[in-house]
Amino acid sequence: MRTVRRWTATFRTLIRPAAPADDAPVTPLTDPGGGRAVVRYSLRTGRRDLIASGTFTAVHQAAETAVPIAIGVIIDHAVARHDPAALLIGLAGLAAVFGVLTFSMRIGLRMGVRGIEGTAHALRVLLTRRVLHPRGIAGEDTTPGNLLSVAATDAPGVGFYNSAVRRIIGAIGALVVATVALMTVSPPLGLFILLGLPPWLWLMRRLAGPVIRHTGAQRATAADASHQAADYLRGLRVLAGIGAGTTAARRFHHTSDHARHAAVRAATARAVYDGVNTVLTGVFLAVVALFAGILADHGTISVGQVVMAVGLAASLIAPFATITAAIRVVAAAKVSAERVATVLGAPYATAGGGTPAAPPEGPVGLDIPPGIAVRPGELLGVAAGDPADATRIIDLLARRTDPPPGTLLLGGADVTGMDPVSVRAAVVVSFHHTDLFTGSVADNVLAAAPPDRLAPALAAAAADDIRADAPVSEHGLSLSSGQRQRVALARALAADPPVLVLHDPTSAVDAATEARVAAGIRTARAGRTTILITTSPGLLAVTDRVTVIHDGHPTADGTHAALLSTDPAYRDLVLR
Amino acid sequence: MTPAPPPDDPATAPGTAPTATGTETRRAIARLLRADRVRAALALVLLVAGLAAAMAAPRVLGHMIDLVVDRRGVPSLVPWFAVLLGAALVQGALTATGGALIAAVGERLAATLRERTIGRALRLPLTRAESLSAGGLLTRVNEDMTTVSTAVTELAPTLITAAITTVLTFGSILLLDWRLALAALCCLPPQVIALRWLLRTALPAQRRSREAADDRTRHLLDTVHGADTARAFGLTGRRAATATTRSRRSMAWALRISMLGTKFYGRLNAGELLGLGAILAAGFLLVRGDAASIGAVSAAALYFHRLFDTFNILLGEFNEAQSAMIATARVVGVATLPTPEEPRATATPADFSISVRGAAHAYVPGRPVLHDVHLDIPQGRHVALVGPSGAGKTTLAALIAGIHTPTAGSVHIGGVPLDALGEAHRRRTVTLISQETHIFAGTLADDLRLAAPHAEDRDLVEALDRTGAWPWVRALPDGLGTRVGEGGRRLTATETQQIALTRLVLADPPIAILDEATADAGSAGARVLDRAAAAVLTGRTALVVAHRLTQARDADEIIVLEDGRVAERGTHAALAAAGGPYARLWSAWSATRPD
Repeated sequence: MRTVRRWTATFRTLIRPAAPADDAPVTPLTDPGGGRAVVRYSLRTGRRDLIASGTFTAVHQAAETAVPIAIGVIIDHAVARHDPAALLIGLAGLAAVFGVLTFSMRIGLRMGVRGIEGTAHALRVLLTRRVLHPRGIAGEDTTPGNLLSVAATDAPGVGFYNSAVRRIIGAIGALVVATVALMTVSPPLGLFILLGLPPWLWLMRRLAGPVIRHTGAQRATAADASHQAADYLRGLRVLAGIGAGTTAARRFHHTSDHARHAAVRAATARAVYDGVNTVLTGVFLAVVALFAGILADHGTISVGQVVMAVGLAASLIAPFATITAAIRVVAAAKVSAERVATVLGAPYATAGGGTPAAPPEGPVGLDIPPGIAVRPGELLGVAAGDPADATRIIDLLARRTDPPPGTLLLGGADVTGMDPVSVRAAVVVSFHHTDLFTGSVADNVLAAAPPDRLAPALAAAAADDIRADAPVSEHGLSLSSGQRQRVALARALAADPPVLVLHDPTSAVDAATEARVAAGIRTARAGRTTILITTSPGLLAVTDRVTVIHDGHPTADGTHAALLSTDPAYRDLVLR
Repeated sequence: MTPAPPPDDPATAPGTAPTATGTETRRAIARLLRADRVRAALALVLLVAGLAAAMAAPRVLGHMIDLVVDRRGVPSLVPWFAVLLGAALVQGALTATGGALIAAVGERLAATLRERTIGRALRLPLTRAESLSAGGLLTRVNEDMTTVSTAVTELAPTLITAAITTVLTFGSILLLDWRLALAALCCLPPQVIALRWLLRTALPAQRRSREAADDRTRHLLDTVHGADTARAFGLTGRRAATATTRSRRSMAWALRISMLGTKFYGRLNAGELLGLGAILAAGFLLVRGDAASIGAVSAAALYFHRLFDTFNILLGEFNEAQSAMIATARVVGVATLPTPEEPRATATPADFSISVRGAAHAYVPGRPVLHDVHLDIPQGRHVALVGPSGAGKTTLAALIAGIHTPTAGSVHIGGVPLDALGEAHRRRTVTLISQETHIFAGTLADDLRLAAPHAEDRDLVEALDRTGAWPWVRALPDGLGTRVGEGGRRLTATETQQIALTRLVLADPPIAILDEATADAGSAGARVLDRAAAAVLTGRTALVVAHRLTQARDADEIIVLEDGRVAERGTHAALAAAGGPYARLWSAWSATRPD
């Protein structure tokens, strides 16, 4: 009974493959040494699906091959001999072949899809984790655009390796059945067909050269046209504003024309190739027919076997073609695997190490190279003449880059030796470039805070005019830039970390609002260490102290008012 | 700052994608095909002839079997062998020529449609461009365009070939024996049922599957772009978990689609079994009754067996064809958007002054954001719009730029109402630089030449110099030839705005409207941009939505908007002394900026 139940369960998982559960662990890929490791990983994680799908695909292909055999047998034994019993048996046999065919096709394909999707899913999860790793990601190929294309295109691309393996196994199933059948019918004919096909395929592959070349050019030009259109459409408001629509349309026309000519060349090459293919296939089948006819005339084989031989010869072309096509798919999958490996194995941006520690309780001070001292609990303004200096400080504080050891100190301790997650729990950086996540305004503000901080944080950021349940779409585009900036500030204030770093948090709001924001920051951060990196006098006015950075080094230090009255360079820097 | 349009604002809400009806779509395609009708007809004739030649093979084989059965000897087979060779040659030659012709026709159709659609979108009047680009609708149309191109150039030839082959095959069986043809038709009922089932269940499932995949991609996009922020706020665990859930959900949908697809092919198999079984059974009866030869029955069975793949293509791709039709309808919808009627005789403005008469505007009926605004800007004067968030500054700028049409009142340029000026004329006259910034992919020179297609390199350099951008452009590795925009060098917010202002110099309009042109550049950049803006506005009539009051201070006149009404107007000195709203704004501003 238990065995029966187990078999029913197995059968159900085969016929109705499910996605893994939400909490199902994803096997980590320990050492992505390169594309090979990723391919191995893909084959290993998908091996059960691969075995099942390969087996059933082979059975399916074998059953497909058995159809012309069945036709030949029925013609021989039933039609030619007028035997009704043979007809009934033959039709029943045909039905059985179809039954096996359709059942194994379902399982083979479904398990095959699960193999591809399973690998893609596992790799996507690993890629996401890599992108979000506390130590960050460095290296040349880690621009957002590239990361997205690796996750969107290459993760499933690796899965196609599994699919190619499945198809090859399937094709072998078909070849075995056909070979056995042909050899049983007539060894010379069988040998002729089996030995004749490979050179024929080789010839076709040689002829495919121009098709591949032209198709490559076609894809590239089509992508050019599509990219250009997308680019222009994204900048449509800019184009409309300067009245450049017609110029852009003319340029697109040119690109599109280019793509069309490439496409026609590729299609012509394909048509010629298909034509040659048709002729060669026809010639091959004609020779098989003549050969089989001669054998039948000699009485070596029956007429039904002639039908069988021609049918098999025709149906053998597909599995052979599958194998050659699969080889191309494998090559493409290897490229994808290489790209996935590059991201998974990308160097870290910063040092790791250290053990997790709770954020400090009381006010905490910082030392930022070169020579910026932040006192515990103060609201420090950092005014940098060169935006690059501001960015450099932000990158250090956000642990995007490593400072020389022993120079960036948090409460006197070297940050480079600390656990990056613990550092970020103590020091929160709110970037100038606001990244809001899709959801509601409240979702964003409370991303790292308990619900009761929503209203005070929105008020302190002068964002209380924005509805908390207002939706935030991709890139926060449903909000105006000023609203985005204030919501991002509210999120930072709500997080209420021991040290908060704000970079130009009011560049997109008006003067009156900026004054409210400045007062809000002052109140919300009372007694907590806060670093305001800005040259906006409205913000600097509420700081306890301002450090001026010039050419990478602190050049002056004092209150905003004092610096204004004594330092002409400072006046020049902050007064606009 | 911008009074953010309320999310339910019909003018900017991602709303109505223009979609053509089925009839309109068919008519538009037919019209495009008519331009190429000679080639299209020739292609079809060649294809039918070529595929007809292919029908010879099973028939000839049947003959050869009959010859063997009748013991006619090997020499009698040879002529038929020659026929087989000849048929293959004819088939290959004709289908290749027909295929190439069909591709040429299809590619031309796709290219024309593509150029019309994108061209139409790029030349949309501002009002329409605004509402369509807000929801990313046009980007979606571009994706549809790719679907349509593939459909026209790959799917359509495949389907046409499969359809012709099916008809010719049934015809060939009919020529063999009408009773065998009748038997072959047994496959039809299950296949029709299967197709109807597929369309009913698979299309909605496919849509949901695509939605799940889009959802996954969007989340990923958010995560990748916001990775630093996620790390900063300790959100990485949660982001990774939701990414996993979405990835898993889209996988579940992909599996569901594969279940539906294989079920469908299973049903097609049932049809094939029925048809093949019927042919063999009927053949058995006919041969026993001496009404047909074994060769004829063999030929019929071979014909039908060859159709299996064709069925799979024809019915399996039906789904694709349906989705392609939906995409085509959207594309045609954009391609055939009506061109706004250009006024027959465009009036010429007397000068380049702006005059707003009693303008009011409401995005949502009954909720006006601008009331009865009167405004006169003489030619060459600079006016600054000042006011708190939500006062209607951007709306007023948009009315003058022609992005929105006022719900009441009117806007005149040199005495001519905006709508009587005509879209083309208006574009030459008024240039708007809005908060929206974009650097176009390509070389920097290409980007700048969008504003002035015939500008020489030295014109570009001169314009860049005016906005103070030339020093850093010259320092770029390839100067003007440096690739910028997507895939190229990334420019800072300040540099991006300088390029926007340089485009304005090159477009050289008599009237310029700057809205938030310096908003996001940070503090240091803002001063650079203030200088650039002052340089490019010289000699033009200008309206500047002042974000920082320094931008207002140097204007010839300042208009203070409050709650959609003009609260105050005058020069900086007069208003600062008047003790009104401007004075209050100014004191908030200058308290932190002692002069």
